[in-house]
Amino acid sequence: MRGVSAVFFLLITGGVLYGAFTGDLTKIGSAAVRAGQEALETVVGLIGGFAFFGGLIGILEKAGAIGLMSRAMRRPLEGLFGKNAGDEAFEAVSVNLAANMLGLSNAATPMGMRAARLLNAEHASTPSDALCMLLVINATSVQLLPSSVIALRNAAGSGMADAVVLPGLAASAVSTAVGIALCKLLQKREKSE
Amino acid sequence: MTVWLLLFAVVAGIARKVDLFSAFSEGAERGMKSAARILPYLAATLTALRVAESSGLMENLCQALAPVSGWLGLPSGAMPLLIMRPLSGSASLALLGDILRAYGPDSRTGLVASAMMGSGETVLYTCAVYLSAAGIKKSRYIIPVSLAGWIAGCVTAGLFFR
Repeated sequence: MRGVSAVFFLLITGGVLYGAFTGDLTKIGSAAVRAGQEALETVVGLIGGFAFFGGLIGILEKAGAIGLMSRAMRRPLEGLFGKNAGDEAFEAVSVNLAANMLGLSNAATPMGMRAARLLNAEHASTPSDALCMLLVINATSVQLLPSSVIALRNAAGSGMADAVVLPGLAASAVSTAVGIALCKLLQKREKSE
Repeated sequence: MTVWLLLFAVVAGIARKVDLFSAFSEGAERGMKSAARILPYLAATLTALRVAESSGLMENLCQALAPVSGWLGLPSGAMPLLIMRPLSGSASLALLGDILRAYGPDSRTGLVASAMMGSGETVLYTCAVYLSAAGIKKSRYIIPVSLAGWIAGCVTAGLFFR
């Protein structure tokens, strides 16, 4: 959270100082005070959309989508992580990624932590190649359904709220592919040194 | 798109003998709670954003970043998201909402910013949570590699809407 606090600090000090030189501090003050009200209005606009997508994903989850997707991903994952990671670790990794794809961060995070623990069974002090891979895939995000984005777009009055699903999926796939490729590249280079 | 997914969900649900109504309501409750949970973070983000915007600082920052945004093929209005997304999920959601309101959700800036959103995560936070679960302090190349992926995803988003 430190990075966010730094941005918070810079925007506020920068804004106030800039405003002191160029113009109207009262205007800045009232804009700041209104922010809470705006936050509330935004959330009210979002609750409906979040309810819809939460419900949709709730059905998919109960229908066993996580289990199905994690089984389908098993083979490709073995190629990425190397076979010596162990069965239990693979299970955790694939459930973590499947839950992430569906946007179920409540289910994804504990599984990801479990996977990280299992991938570091030797209690090494630096992350292994496989653990780096897990983190990079999580940090570059693989999202099938950007539900919060669609909800936000609807709340903003978009006439084509879900027009960004495919481009978003492509962007998400490219970010993850670049992450994976760089991981593999760096792992190879470190080994050859 | 959304409609087909909804249809697929209820058909798959019935086939797997799911109690559709209660599964949907439970999920809806979870969704509504997570919308409500981001309120304090939204308030914090919007406070800082409003101070920066109403003073004119934000506009200047976007202009200063214009060469970078041109080089990446991104609209300059989406640049704040490029910086915020890796730092905080709820703050970047607030920022996206703001961009959509300011430029319109179906403008190029609105569309590109929306498509960017899903291609990244809170890199530092994710890294900290998972590494500390494994009892590790060093992060090797994870952070720069993840950020490179995020930027590649943003460029892809920009290519979709010209």
